[in-house]
Amino acid sequence: MGSLRNVGVVGLFGYTILFFTFIYLPIVLIVAYSFNADPINMMNWSGFTFDWYRQIFGLKNTVSENALYIESTEQLLNALRNSLTVAAFTTTIATVLGTATALALYRFNFLGKKFYRVLLFAPMLMPDIVLGIALLIFFVGAGVSLGLKTIIAGQCSFLVSYVFIVVSARLAGMDRSLENASADLGADEWTTFRRIILPQAMPGVIGGALLAFIISMDDLVITYFISGVDTQTLPIFIFGMLRRGIKPEINAIATLMLLFSFAVASLGLYFRSRRG
Amino acid sequence: MSTSSLHRRRLAHLGILLGPASGFLAIFFLCPLVIMLVYSFLEPGLYGGAEWVFYPDNYGRILGFANPDFEVYDPVYIAIFLRSLRIALVTVAATLLVCYPAAFQISRLPSRWKNFALFLITLPFFASLIVRLFIWVLILKKTGFANMVLTSLHIVSTPVELIYTEGAIVIGMVYVFIPFMFLPVYASVEKLDWSLVRASQDLGANGFQTFWRVIFPLTLPGVIGGSIIVFIPALGNFIVPAVLGGAKVMMLGNLIEQQFLGARNWPFGAALAMLVMAAVLAILFFYIRFEARRGDDAPVLR
Repeated sequence: MGSLRNVGVVGLFGYTILFFTFIYLPIVLIVAYSFNADPINMMNWSGFTFDWYRQIFGLKNTVSENALYIESTEQLLNALRNSLTVAAFTTTIATVLGTATALALYRFNFLGKKFYRVLLFAPMLMPDIVLGIALLIFFVGAGVSLGLKTIIAGQCSFLVSYVFIVVSARLAGMDRSLENASADLGADEWTTFRRIILPQAMPGVIGGALLAFIISMDDLVITYFISGVDTQTLPIFIFGMLRRGIKPEINAIATLMLLFSFAVASLGLYFRSRRG
Repeated sequence: MSTSSLHRRRLAHLGILLGPASGFLAIFFLCPLVIMLVYSFLEPGLYGGAEWVFYPDNYGRILGFANPDFEVYDPVYIAIFLRSLRIALVTVAATLLVCYPAAFQISRLPSRWKNFALFLITLPFFASLIVRLFIWVLILKKTGFANMVLTSLHIVSTPVELIYTEGAIVIGMVYVFIPFMFLPVYASVEKLDWSLVRASQDLGANGFQTFWRVIFPLTLPGVIGGSIIVFIPALGNFIVPAVLGGAKVMMLGNLIEQQFLGARNWPFGAALAMLVMAAVLAILFFYIRFEARRGDDAPVLR
């Protein structure tokens, strides 16, 4: 019986190693192969090179013409610029609206409070494609031309929910006695709000904003339907590349994107763990 | 300050906090959904768009009551729906199988390692979805990593077709949805009362009985929660089948995309989307029923 249990323990441990290998081996592979010199078969190692990185940054265009995929670095940079513009606006709007809603539902009791909770959870449970096409029909029907503006409005329609949930969770864990103390000491509502509630809610607001930023930068499905033909964001640019056929530069782009999101996520998780 | 003016001021505060978000969500969330619902009952226009005529045949085309003068019922749509359902269910089962044992191992690690393991599992969630999917194209394609390993280990003699299959879609989805399943399951496993497990063993239950009668029911809330969070995005997915299924394996999501960006039959596309919505609502309905029942049973379980 004892040895049988040992087999179980070792088995479970081995399984967990496999589990992490499954998650991280692909990521290691893509980073490694972004330095592979072979332009035709990306999985056939034929020497170390920085060429693909140089190509992304427009430093080198001398690799054989048919291996080139990014017609111009300009397209890639343009997609990146669009993504950052959209994310800056959506993060701001969603953070303000989401935080205000969370505060309203925390501070006040009113008729229809339950309805608001359902309304704010609904976008997260809605399949992306349904919201995407609903927004497409809506914008086209309203005569709005598709572009950055529609992407920003469309993304905010579900990002508000994410901010709301993160901030609400923070508010729920707050110490209500501080508020009462502040009122007892003669502070008016505005002072209490500014000096007591807001500072305590701040980590939640920052966390919500960070989450909104990351999701906005990464959103593919909803953006895909409401972006129009001329406006590409980074995920849509890569999706387009995949559909036309894969060329080696994409490994380097993917590596840089992974590096960037891991850095942002690590920073966010680090701050969260420090604040307890 | 009189009570009524205080009341009025609180009402004003509430309005300032809630007004903008309410307006925004009414216009950009509720309104589009209502319009889509209406659209699914309109007649497709000749050159895209829709005519203002009540037209249930969009649904008839899918479900089999189409007026043959207008639309032809084609069982292929039901077949695609059932295939999507099957792929989504297999994805849920596979994700659970991958996450469940790992959750047990990680819950028993010393807390420093536990936190590090949780960090490693949540980290990929923040990385670009399309990048994580693209990696699997390189692994599964005919000249890819998987075939390299398989041939060098002499498991297969010539490279096999791995990509553009239902299996490839399931692998891609499992990979992307691991954090969705792991975290709810882990939360349940972490809360598991091991004294109940020991009691079961002391009373003579064998390993399987203990698992099936004690451990599994106690972790069921996490399993069901995780399954729903994975099932919903899997059912209507069109990115994973577009990247890893190619043109060979079509899911509901691809069909909807086609109606909007290819065939330009928007009302029919809207009707298909309503089908996805209906399935999701049905699942959520059963989940709420389950939660309510669990609420009643809770004292017994404890």
